[in-house]
Amino acid sequence: MKNMKGDKLFIILFLAPAVLITSVFMYVPFFENFIQSFYKTDGFFNSTFVGWDNYKRLFADEIAKKATLNSLQLMLYVAIFQVGIALILAVMVDSIKVGAGFFRTTFFFPVVISGAAIGLLFTLIYNYRNGLLNEILISLGFERVLWLTEQSSLYMVAIPTIWSYVGFYFVIFLTAIGKIPQDFYEAAQLEGVTGFQKLTKITIPLIVSDIKVCLILAITGALKIFELVYIITRGGPARSSEVLGTYMYQKAFVDANVGYGATLAVLMVVIGLTLAIVTNKLLKSEDVTY
Amino acid sequence: MKKKFRRLGSVALFMSILLVVMSACGAGDKSSSEAPKESANKSADESDKGNVDLKIVTTMAGTDPTGAVLEELVKEFEAANEGVKITNESQTADAGTIRTKVNTDFSSDNEPELMFYFNTVDAEGIIKEGKVIDLENAEGIDLSGYNSMLEQQRNADGKIYAAPQTGFYEALFVNESLFKEHGIELPTTWELYEKAIEEFAKTDIIPVAVSTEDSYYVVEHYILAAGGMEPYSSALSDKNAVWAEGLDLIGKHAKMGAFPKDAATIDLAMAASLFNQEQAAMLLEGSWAWGAIKEAGIDKNVTVLPMPNKNGGETGELVGGASQGWFISTKAFNDDNKRDATVKLFNFLTSEESIVRLAGATGQIPAKGELTDLEPNIAVGHKLLKDAPAIDAPINDRITPEAFTHMRTSVPEIVSGAKTGKQVLDEAAAME
Repeated sequence: MKNMKGDKLFIILFLAPAVLITSVFMYVPFFENFIQSFYKTDGFFNSTFVGWDNYKRLFADEIAKKATLNSLQLMLYVAIFQVGIALILAVMVDSIKVGAGFFRTTFFFPVVISGAAIGLLFTLIYNYRNGLLNEILISLGFERVLWLTEQSSLYMVAIPTIWSYVGFYFVIFLTAIGKIPQDFYEAAQLEGVTGFQKLTKITIPLIVSDIKVCLILAITGALKIFELVYIITRGGPARSSEVLGTYMYQKAFVDANVGYGATLAVLMVVIGLTLAIVTNKLLKSEDVTY
Repeated sequence: MKKKFRRLGSVALFMSILLVVMSACGAGDKSSSEAPKESANKSADESDKGNVDLKIVTTMAGTDPTGAVLEELVKEFEAANEGVKITNESQTADAGTIRTKVNTDFSSDNEPELMFYFNTVDAEGIIKEGKVIDLENAEGIDLSGYNSMLEQQRNADGKIYAAPQTGFYEALFVNESLFKEHGIELPTTWELYEKAIEEFAKTDIIPVAVSTEDSYYVVEHYILAAGGMEPYSSALSDKNAVWAEGLDLIGKHAKMGAFPKDAATIDLAMAASLFNQEQAAMLLEGSWAWGAIKEAGIDKNVTVLPMPNKNGGETGELVGGASQGWFISTKAFNDDNKRDATVKLFNFLTSEESIVRLAGATGQIPAKGELTDLEPNIAVGHKLLKDAPAIDAPINDRITPEAFTHMRTSVPEIVSGAKTGKQVLDEAAAME
């Protein structure tokens, strides 16, 4: 009994720095942000308590609705393509005998490039008059194409968003697949299981918990998408690629309406938490041990 | 017993580490709450040794050519005033980061002694909080020799908080060579402006290089063109029909092929770059654009014209003024150890010689004295401003940032036909 008391003391003491740091840098700012959402404030000198006004405005704000829908749409693309492509690439790289190291490095490479640099890169690729894509089209004798339109802009920002983080999930999957004992595959081979069946009957069921983690990371991470959209389209044209991150930035820092920006931030946290919980519940499964 | 003692020792050690970490965190609070006292003591020590540290924040940084001249002036001042050390924390005015920096500095008791900043809606909070001094009634401040730009800085409360440095104008930059090459008349009237759009739209040359998403100058000039200075100067809350007409004219001209195809996604710098690469014949910009035009080597081909007027009003009316000035922080002025050096530096930077040198870097119009030996095209701009029948500040200097952002970012929707000028105006007015 005495020993248990001592352990508790150690647990509290060792957890204290983490709790302290998380509180100071996360919970306190979030609480401050929540408080600011009840003010009409520029965050510095002008501040008036407005009660629920910012929330009422949020529900009537067409741009906020559009930004939320765009964020959810990006989330879907990210969940399907980022995780899906990463899984396919991991299975393919795991199956090759030579050059796996090269592919591992190549696929992971975009993860280490900053979002700002990737944004600039794609701005230059999509540029109408002097961009890479149009230069290629011109050299092949075709007309220039306007790549960033109201109809296409969201897809065009989804491409670099997906590409830039595929490598991250690829490495997770590759590690997970590498941990599956070879005996399983050898036994399956003796039973006459084919290549595709190996994937669906052995590999995927055994890494399902990793897939779950990647999906949650991808879905919640999609809410944080900001710099690529901001640099490539700044939410345009005509708000067609506006996401919650860019809209919140505009309100808080460009429009000096920190109060409403804080309200949008609260919405982002609520959506993020809800989706994380829902995804967790939907993908709940027994952990596989081997 | 030994084990228990060792465990207690570990706990004590851990607690000490935690205490050190917490006291380090707490130090921030202590320093902020006792900041004035500490700073006063520090200043007193500095004063004993004859040392004074001054901080200045300006927008003369990045690609702004005045940044280099400011650095020279700072060095000259330091050399002439032994013991004065100046930290220059200037930041570029692009992307609005300077606004965040200035607001953060002033609200965290870390304000600069001198600041060259926007004397517009941006400075309202700082002025209302009494964070900067009334220059006219402050001892030692020399405001002599200023031209009419000083008066333009007068606040609604009747006081002058900012001393101007240069004036600016916004107008239509025209590549005369391209007009000549294509046999098109210069856009001196609204009809000729529309004719030029029509004619250039038939060629590879973009008629007017603008960004409709980042459409500061487009919005201002089209509203000015729609009805002249009187409606232009009205308040947003008036929801003047001329403003709506001006916004709709942008849509009309976009359909005529006036703007780049990707105008809704390029930014101001990219639009200006199209003009500087002679891929566009006209550019709506401010007088600071001369820097990049000269750098591109096309300045000999370029002249500047006032935006033509569509529905009456005198052509020659300009968007312009002097929206930036030098502020002195109240904190620095009330600090006995910093006051003299701060005032001295202010008088030095706002002396006629300094102002003319700073203005010379970009060819802007100085608030004191006159620039001489100007190149003809830059001189045209100076004449334009001198002869202007009416000048008023840009719209974004007069209305809330949120309302203006809504107006300018809605321009692509006006262009696509999703919204009318009136709709956008009503929505923007509701945000004020």
